[in-house]
Amino acid sequence: MPSWAEFQPYIVTGLALGGLYALSGVGLVVLYRATGVLNLAFGAVGAMGAFIAYSIIKAGNPGWLGWITCILFCGVVTLGYGMVFGPLLAGRGPLVQSVSTLGLALVLFGAVDLAWPTTAGQSPTISFPTDSSTVFTVGELSVSWTQLIALLLGIVITAGTGAFLRYSKLGTAMRAMANDREITATLGVPVRRVEAAAWLGCGLLAGIAGIMLADISALDDTTLVFTVVISSLAAALIGRLRSITVTFVAALVIGLVHDLVTPITQIDNYQDMTPFVLAAIALLVMSRTQVMTRSREEG
Amino acid sequence: MSHVIDTADTAGPKASVGRRGPAMDRRALTRATVIVVLLLLALFALPPIMSAYYTITMIQVAIYSIVTLGLGLLVGRVGLYSLGQLAVLTIGAWVGARLLFGTSQPYILVIIEAGLATMIIGSLITLPALRLRGLYLALITLMLAGAVAVVLQTLNFPNGGGGFSGYNGSQLHVPQIRRPSFAGTDPAFYRFSVIVAIVMFLLVFAHLRTRPGRAWAAIRQSEPSALAAGINTTFYKLWAMALASFVTGVAGALLAGADRVLFSIDFPIQNSIQLLAVVLMGGAFSLAGAVVAAFLQSLLPSALYNLWHVQDDWLIILFGVGVMQVLATAPGGLADQFPKDMKRLYGAIRRLFGGSRGAHAVSTARKGGDPA
Repeated sequence: MPSWAEFQPYIVTGLALGGLYALSGVGLVVLYRATGVLNLAFGAVGAMGAFIAYSIIKAGNPGWLGWITCILFCGVVTLGYGMVFGPLLAGRGPLVQSVSTLGLALVLFGAVDLAWPTTAGQSPTISFPTDSSTVFTVGELSVSWTQLIALLLGIVITAGTGAFLRYSKLGTAMRAMANDREITATLGVPVRRVEAAAWLGCGLLAGIAGIMLADISALDDTTLVFTVVISSLAAALIGRLRSITVTFVAALVIGLVHDLVTPITQIDNYQDMTPFVLAAIALLVMSRTQVMTRSREEG
Repeated sequence: MSHVIDTADTAGPKASVGRRGPAMDRRALTRATVIVVLLLLALFALPPIMSAYYTITMIQVAIYSIVTLGLGLLVGRVGLYSLGQLAVLTIGAWVGARLLFGTSQPYILVIIEAGLATMIIGSLITLPALRLRGLYLALITLMLAGAVAVVLQTLNFPNGGGGFSGYNGSQLHVPQIRRPSFAGTDPAFYRFSVIVAIVMFLLVFAHLRTRPGRAWAAIRQSEPSALAAGINTTFYKLWAMALASFVTGVAGALLAGADRVLFSIDFPIQNSIQLLAVVLMGGAFSLAGAVVAAFLQSLLPSALYNLWHVQDDWLIILFGVGVMQVLATAPGGLADQFPKDMKRLYGAIRRLFGGSRGAHAVSTARKGGDPA
C-alpha cells in the first residue's frame, strides 16, 4: 500500500476531474428532468467541440476564440438536435428518446474519427495558460488554476442550477415539465421554448466539459465520448436522475476514487471501472427500495 | 399465475385459424418453405461459390446474427435496451477461448459452457437494473461495456498461456484457437456457424411461442399491467436477459474459433452502440430483422471496404443517421419497412399503368420495380 504522501496529488486531480463530471452530470439531469431525454451524445458533442477548438488554436488563432467556438458549437448542435428530434419523438418515452441520442453520438464519433484521424506519434492536445500557474501549495502539493477552475465550475454550476430551478420563472417551468408535460402545457407554459432552453443549456455545458476535459484528461475521441459520458451518467444515476445535489457529490466521489486508485499498482489498470462499480452498488441499493413506478415513466 | 395473458393469447390464433384456416396455413407454409430454401442455399449453394474473403465475412454474419438475435429479443420483445451486448459477446469469446486452450473438451460442449457462463455473468450484473425502470438497464449496460473494455485491456484474450488469464504476453508464436475436427476449414466452419445459428434461432422461437414469450409481450406493452395480471415481471425480464446472454455467449465461443486469434482492440466500446443501432435499423420486432442486422453489421463494412475502400467511420455515421431515422419514422426497421415500401411502390406503379394498359403492363412494371 502506498504512503499517504503518494495519494496527495491525486486528491487534487481527482477533485478537478470530479468537478467536471459534476458539471456534466448536472447538465444531464436538468435536461432529463425538463425533457425526459437522457442526452447520451453529451460526450460526443463535447469531443467534437474540443477537436474544433484544437484545430482553430493550431491554425494560429488566440485560445479564447477556440474555447468560445467549442462551447457555442456544442450549444448549437445540441439545440439543433433537440429542436428536430424533440418534437418527432415526443411521447415515445424516455428510453426511445435517449437511445435516439446515441444516433447523434455515433454520427459525431464517426465524423471526429474521419476529420481528426489518430496518427501515430503526435497526439493532439489542448492546454490552457492556467495549467502551469500555481494558485497555492500545501506542503508539497501544488494546485494549478485549471484544477481550481474545474472544481469551482462544478460547484458554481451545481449551485447556480439549483438556484435557477428554484427561483427563476424558466426554472420553475422546467420543474413543472419534469412533473407533467401535458398539464404544464395546458397551464400556458411555452413547452417547446422551455425545452429549447434546456437543450441549449445542456449543449453549452457539454462544450465547457469537453474543452476542460480535453485539457485535464486527454484530447482523445474514445475517452471524451465514452469515459466522460459513462462517469457523469454514473453520477446522475446515483442521483436517481433527479437530485442535482446527490449527482454533484457522486461525481466528486467518482473523480476522487478514479484518481486515488492510481498509486495502488495492483488495481490501477482498472481505475476506469470506477463509475461502473459505484453505479452498480448504487443500483443494488436502489433496487431494494424502489416501488413500482408510474406507467407514464416507462419507456 | 399468468392465466389472464395465457388464455387471451392462445385463444387469438385458434379463433382466427377457425375462421380463415386454409389461408393462414398456406401463408405459414409458404413462409416456412422460403426460409428452408434460403437456409439450404446458405448451407450448400453459397460455400462453393464464395471467395475466401467473403467466406470469412459470412462466418461473421452467421455469428453476429446470433448476437443481434439476442439483442433483438431484448429490445423488440421485452422492451429492454441493452447498450453492452458486445461486451457480453466478448465475455463469451473470452470464456470460450480460455476453455478451448485449457481443456480438451469437444467444441460443442465448450460452446454450451461459454453460453452458460455468460448467462450467469450477464444475469447477475443486470439483475439490480431489471428491477428498476428500463432507462437504468440501458445505463448500467453502457457502463458494463466500458468496464469490460477496461478489463480486457489488462487481462487480454487467452493465447495459450497459463494461469487464470491464459495470456502470455512474451509469446513469439501465438497458437491459434482450435476448431472442431469436422469444421477445420473456413467453408466447413461457415456451415457449422450457420447450423449453430439456426439452433439458436429455433431456441428463441420456441421461447417466443410459449409462456415466456407471452409474458414478454405483456411486459413490453405495459409493465404495470403485466404485473397486475400476475406476471412476475422481474423474473421474466431476467429470463429474457439470461436467454439473450446465453445465445450471445454461444456466439462468442463461435467467434473464438472463427477468428482463431482474438485481440481486445477489435472490440472497442463504440461497437456495442453500433450493434444496437444495426439491430434497430434491421428491425427489432422480427427474427428476420436479426439477420438483416447481422448483414448490416458484418457484410456491409466488408463489402464496402472490398469494393471501394470505404472507411468504417462512414458506416458509423450512416448507422447513427439510420438509428435516428428508424426511431423517428420507421420503428419496425428495415425488415418491416422494406416489404411495405415495396408494396407501396408496386401499388403506385400499378395505379400508374394498371388503368390504361391492363394486366400485362402490371406484371412487367412489377418486374422492373423490384430491384429498386
